[in-house]
Order: sequence, then structure tokens, then C-alpha cells
Amino acid sequence: MTAFLQLLFQGVALGCIYALVALGFTVVYRASKVINFAQGSLLLVGAYLVSFLATDLNLPFVAAVVGAIALLATGGAVFQMTVLRRMLGQPVFVLVMITIGLSIVIDSSIPAIFGGNARILGDPWGASAVHVGGVTLNWVRIWTVVCTGLILALYFAFDRFSRYGLAMRATAADEEAALAVGVPVRRVYALTWAIAGGVAAVGGLFLAGFPSSVNPSLGDVALRAFPAIILGGLDSPPGAVVGGITIGIVEVMSSGYAPGWLGNDFSSVAPYVVMILVLLSRPYGLFGTRPVERV
Amino acid sequence: MTPSTTPMLEVRDLALRFGSVTAFEDLTFDVGRGELFAVIGPNGAGKTSLFNVLSRAYVPTAGSVRFDGADLLRLRVSALAGAGVARTFQNLGLFGELTVLENVLIGRHHLMRSGTLRSGLWLGYARREERRHRAAAMEALEFAGIGRHAHVPTGTLPFGIQKRVEIARALAMEPKLMLLDEPVAGMSVAEREEITALVRRLHHERDLTLLLVEHDMGMVMRIAQRVLVLDFGRIIAIGTPAEVQRDERVIRAYLGEELEPALAEAPR
Amino acid sequence: MSMHTSHRRRFGVTSAGLLGLAVLAIVLPFGLNAGQLTTATFVLIAAIGALGLNVLTGYTGQISLGHAFFLAVGAYTAGVLGGNDHLTALIWLPAAGVVAALCGALVGPTALRLRGLYLAIVTIGLVFIGQHIWFNVPAISGGPGGRSFPAVAFGPFDFSAGQQLTIGGLVIDHNGLYYYLALIILAAAMLFVWNLVRGRPGRAMQAVRDREIAAAIMGVDLARTKMSAFVISSFLTGVSGALYASYLSFATPGQWSVLLSVQYVAAIIVGGIGTVWGALLGSIVIFALPAVLQSLIPQSSSGGLPIDDLTSIAYGVLIIVFFVLEPHGIVGLGRRVASLWSRIGLRPGKGGGLSQEAQSIENRSEATWAG
Repeated sequence: MTAFLQLLFQGVALGCIYALVALGFTVVYRASKVINFAQGSLLLVGAYLVSFLATDLNLPFVAAVVGAIALLATGGAVFQMTVLRRMLGQPVFVLVMITIGLSIVIDSSIPAIFGGNARILGDPWGASAVHVGGVTLNWVRIWTVVCTGLILALYFAFDRFSRYGLAMRATAADEEAALAVGVPVRRVYALTWAIAGGVAAVGGLFLAGFPSSVNPSLGDVALRAFPAIILGGLDSPPGAVVGGITIGIVEVMSSGYAPGWLGNDFSSVAPYVVMILVLLSRPYGLFGTRPVERV
Repeated sequence: MTPSTTPMLEVRDLALRFGSVTAFEDLTFDVGRGELFAVIGPNGAGKTSLFNVLSRAYVPTAGSVRFDGADLLRLRVSALAGAGVARTFQNLGLFGELTVLENVLIGRHHLMRSGTLRSGLWLGYARREERRHRAAAMEALEFAGIGRHAHVPTGTLPFGIQKRVEIARALAMEPKLMLLDEPVAGMSVAEREEITALVRRLHHERDLTLLLVEHDMGMVMRIAQRVLVLDFGRIIAIGTPAEVQRDERVIRAYLGEELEPALAEAPR
Repeated sequence: MSMHTSHRRRFGVTSAGLLGLAVLAIVLPFGLNAGQLTTATFVLIAAIGALGLNVLTGYTGQISLGHAFFLAVGAYTAGVLGGNDHLTALIWLPAAGVVAALCGALVGPTALRLRGLYLAIVTIGLVFIGQHIWFNVPAISGGPGGRSFPAVAFGPFDFSAGQQLTIGGLVIDHNGLYYYLALIILAAAMLFVWNLVRGRPGRAMQAVRDREIAAAIMGVDLARTKMSAFVISSFLTGVSGALYASYLSFATPGQWSVLLSVQYVAAIIVGGIGTVWGALLGSIVIFALPAVLQSLIPQSSSGGLPIDDLTSIAYGVLIIVFFVLEPHGIVGLGRRVASLWSRIGLRPGKGGGLSQEAQSIENRSEATWAG
């Protein structure tokens, strides 16, 4: 039982990171139908930014985190405004290719600038933990869960109650109609990229927490988050959260309980197996909307 | 009963509901062989939904449809063309990146046999078949008066021409029954005249049963042999154009539409 | 008729162009150094797989990121049949295509339920699950450390490193032999696909890509069409994978990653989606550019940065810049130049047929491709 609770806690913490990654994906996808293949790279930048601000510039950790979020959100918006904005009206796959180009640039710039070796994050938690009835709760994981909850609450409040949240939903529902009634669609796109950058900074920083470190392969996590967005439905941010946490739990549980004949490291493909099984019964995920094909 | 005397289409108690919304119900009518039969009604009366059931895009909630004596509702969508049903689409069902000729050739897909290997290796069979069907497709294009657009990508042509490509494609399918979904919707007066003449020629010169859905009363009354009037998903009249035009309920339905356009725009 | 003559002239120009290209492709190895020839050979091998992807994604509209999986299936079929069982390349090369095609036929039914990007992500799953199998079944893949692959050899032809073929006074080495083999297979595959997309099955594929329901009502069997696209695509990809592994002679499971799939998708998009030539043009850019960039950037100017990273950065920047400037890919660029050229060369009214056609080709290239 203790082992199960231990895995459950780890699964939820990992799932929170997936949820953040998936949220970044769905926010951009919902508005512009673009799968941002650079989301993982943004995560990578987030982790390095925090590490750089906290250890090289010796900023207080909280300041480093806030700074990284601000910088990455700005970076996302600037990229959208300078590059993607010119592509309005072009086929979606061209935009997807540009995000792939961006991810190549980022993934090779990071080791070029910081070197290929792992760095320390500069966080105050390290391996410290509290023990509750035999279950070890690492502080970094506790903070992952708390901060993710906070960010999601903020995002959903923004989406529901603010003027721009409404604009985002209107753009998602019908871009042309939104334009026609005066929704600042261009600003909405920039905003979605800012949000994607901001949540990536947080996701990246927790991803680099104990037992991991800041290293160039952190961005790979984005590929593992795909099952989360598919499970939840590409265009559903709440679905992204449910999908993310589910996938986190599936991954950690299968690392603890998968039988040996499934091979080494089965936990890394378990999310994909679950995803395929779900899709065979629900082709648009658990919360996704089926596109209506007009005859 | 010999096959030649069975109606081409027998619709019985047909109903279609989406949740609590009823598109239409209690539809019962026959379309005779070689007949030009029209379905009219205000916007939202259920005309296009009826077409979508007849072309197997929607599954009806209740009722039966027999086509040429056989159960239409047991056919798969892709088997429909082979059985002899062709249709056009109100908002165009063309493949924009293909040329006009290629679009019409897709209509002959079910008449052709070349598969991956025969086409890929460009064997004699595939070559001969392609040549033969290209000629037939060109003939359909000429019939529709658009032969000169054969090699143009369809998506670049004006709406009026594309509507004709649809008719040419349906004709090239060599159907027994052709369903025309609002062929003159969104067209200028001159274009309407041309399409009306084309539909009339189709009916006179080809061995076809035509089922026409149209909003344009003028066109329908001039060319249809029998007319079925739908209002709010129910049949309110059926008969010759002259009979229908005199019908109290029809006049009220259309008058109501003019007086209360908002009501007529109700979602279909 | 002017229309007729312009068609005939076009045909003449096309034939002359094809002939010139064929001659260029044949003499090319004699103008390249060993490194360049290796790159050219990899490009041709990759183009076979990219052509397969273009059948599935470009013509049928089924976005797949599972290409790495089918490449691996082809490669390991070659490894098992040629390396473990010592069969000839005349068997393992076609078998690689057939086994991959069978896997494609197994995956195909999923595509009947999934559309667009959902399918893309499920096929990513295929790559991950595939890699899991490769890492865990050493009998096939040699385990995490990798395995060696057989060189092509049949009859008097031996393609192993160090071997060479002398015809008259010409000496063709190991690289050259692979180059010509890949060239022949690619040319045959391009001809096959060219015939296909202009015939009944290819039209059905494009109809399914553009409007599924309308295609079905026209009598196109959706299941069958998607399935045959998967089978043809995986067959070509399997052959490409087998050749690739054989030419490399050694590969590890880690090589068959999503990144490889992404490169193939990039290749067909750069080259021109839904075109036969696009597969080759895009492969040249995507698979040769890194090597070209590496040779262009002088070691001294790297400012202390690792040369590999600098190459990748330049590569990524070029992809972004390219798509911002020319969203229709190289084929789109070519069409734009061609239509500009024909518009200058032939004033409207003089050669109405040709300029109208050029115009329509221009428009066609601008029509969007619905994912």
C-alpha cells in the first residue's frame, strides 16, 4: 500500500508537468490549429533560464523563476509577432514546419551556449523531503503539484472571466466570425504563444528538479506529453490537465508494476499504449470535439 | 409486379431526428421511372436532410427507402454509385485541387476497375480503360457545356461553372437516379436560366430519373412533373405544379416565409 | 489548334528536361568526391522513403509521423534475412518492402477512425512502441548496442565496402554502386507513383484527401483507398529503410526515432506536398543540407562554438526562413518561376492556351492543402 501511495504521488507530480506541457500545446492549438513542435524546446529554455538567472546571476530563486516566466512569455509572443504573423492564411502544416525549425534552432543553440553537460537548477529544495507514514514526499514534487494547481486555476479564471479569455474562446470557435465582430485575433495569437512560453518555463523548471538536472535532453518530455493531449482532446485545455495527470500516473505505475516480459523501460511507452487503446474507442479523445463535416 | 412498373424510389414513413430536433418525419412518396420530381419548401423545411438520407450520408431514425426495388438503406455509402444513385451538392462537393476532367473521372470510379498495380505499372488494361473513360468524361463535360475547362483545377473556377461540373460529374456516373441539391442556389438570373435548360435537357435526352431539391419556385414550376412541398419537416402537398400552386397550405407556407423571414431562417 | 501545339511543345520540353536530368544523374558520381557521393547516395535512398510518405500524406491526406517505424521494419527485415539467414539481396530487398507493407496494412485500419493530427500523434506512438521493441528484442535489432546489416550482393555484383566494379575504363566503387542502385529504384518508384496518381487509384486518394464524404458518395471505398495508400507508402519506405541500413552497414535502435520521421515530413513539405518531384527535391534539401553547411562553415569562424551545433542552428534557421518566404515548397517556387517566365515569354492573346494553363498551375499551387 505504501509503495502504491508512493507511486501515486510521484505519478501525480509527473502528471502535473505533463499537464503544463499539454496546456501549452492546447492553448496554441485551440486558437490556430497549429501543433507547436517547439513546446518541448520552450521547456528546455525555461529550465536553462531559471538555472542561468539563479546560479550565474545569483538572483534569489523566486526572482529567477518570475524572470524566466516573463522572458519566455515575451519570447513566445515576439516569435509569434515577428515570424508566425506573416504566415496568417497559409496552410497549417507550413506553420507546423516553422515550429519544427524553431525547435531545431533552440535544441542546438542550448548546448552551443551552455555546453552539453548537466547544470544545477539553483533551487532551494534539492533532495529534501517530508515523510508521511512511510511515503516520501519530495519538496520539489510538492511544489510541482501546488504550483501547477495555482497556474491552472489562474489560466481557467483568465479564460472564463477576462476579456481576452473570451477573445481566445471566440477565436477558437470561429476565427472569421471573431474577426468580423472585432476580436483582436492577431493579439490573441500572440497571447496564446505568451501563455505557451510562460507555462513552459514553469514546466521546465520542475522537470529539471530532483532527481533530474538541467540538461539538453529535457525537451524530449514534450513528445511523451503527446498522449496527454490526445487523451484529453487536442482542443480542450481541461482535457489536457486530466490527460496529463492520467498519463503521469500510468507512466509511474507501470514502472512499478509492469511485468518483466513487457521489456525494460516499458513505462516510457505505456502512455502511448493507453492512448491508442483510448483512441480506438473514442477517436477524438475523452473531451475533444468531433469536427462536423458538412455535406 | 415487373421491375419496369415498380417506382424508381419508394419512400415510406421516413423520419430523421437529431436529439430532440426533428429534421423531417412521416415522409411517404414514390418517384416514378423517368420522372422529374421536385422537393420544395422554405429554408429549414428538411429538404437537404432528406437528400443526405437518400445519399446515405445520414442514417434515418425510422422508415424505409426502396430504390429500384431494393432496400437502399442496406447499401454502404460507397456502394451507392454502383447501384445507380448520383448526387450533386448544394455547397459543392468537388475536389478543388483536381482538374475538372479528373473530378468527372472520379464520378466514373465505380465503372472502372484498374487497381494499384495495373495503374502504377501502366499496363495496357489501365491505359485502354483510362482512354475510354476520359472520352466518356469529356462527353459529359461537353453535354454540360464546359468542355473547354477540362484541364483547369476546379477550385479556381467561378461558382456557376463549378455547379455545372457537379452536374457533369453526376451524369458521368451513369446513374438511374440523379439527386440534384439546389442546382441554381446562389446564381445570377442568366446562370439560373442556363442551368434550368441543362436540367431539362438531361431529363429529355438521357434515360434518367431526376429528384430535384430547389428553393427557386419559378424553376421548379417550369420543369418539374410532380412537386412535393415540405414545411417544418412534413409533407403539406404533393401533385403537379399546377395543383401545388393552388394549394392553400402551400400558399400559406410561402406567404408565411415572406412575412416572417426570421422564422424561416430557423436552423435546419 | 494553339492549345494542341502548346501541349505538344510542353511535352517536348518535358521530355528534353527529363533526359537532361537522367544524364546528369548518371554522370554525377564522377564529379563528386567520396564524401559528396555518400551524401548524394543517402539523399537518393531517403527520397524513396519520402516518395512513400508523399503517397500517404501528400496525396491521401493521412498525416503520418510513423515513418521511422516503417524504415526500421524494412531495415530489420534486411538484417534478419540477409544478415542472420544469409539470403541474397534479391530476396531481402523486396521482402523488406513486403514486411513493411504488411505492417502498414495492420496500422491502416486505425486511420479509418482517426483524422488529421490525431492520426499523426498515434503514428508517433507507433515509433515509440517500435523503438521499445527494437531495444528489447536483440534477436532482431542486436539490442541497444545495435547490429550490422548485410551489404547488397547478387550474382557478380558485390556492394561491400572496398569492392569495385570496372566497366570499360570506368571504375565504380562501393559508394557508386549504392548510388546507382538507389537511383534505379527511385526512378522506378517515381514512375510507378506518377502513373498511380494520374490513374484511378490516385484520383481516389486525392478525393479522399479533399472531401471524404463526397468521395464516398462518388463510389470511392474509403477503407480500401486509405489502406492501399498505407500499403504502397510502407512498401517504398521499407525498401528505403533496408537500403539505408545496408549502406550504413550498422545501426542502433536509437536511430529510428521520431526525429527521423520529422525529417521525412519536413522533406515532403520542403519539396512540395502531393507532388512526385517534391520527394526528391525535399530530400536533397533536408538530407544533404547539413553536410553542405558543415563544409561551408570554416572551422576557424565558429567562434569557439561546436561546429555540429552551428550547422544545426543554420539548418533550423534556413527551414524557418524558407517557409516564411516560400510556403509552397520548392515545387511552388519552381511553378512561380515557370509561370512568371511563360507570362513574360507569351503575351495573353498570342498563346492563350499556354498562358491560361500557366495561370491555372499557378493557382493550383496556391490552393491550400487541407490536413
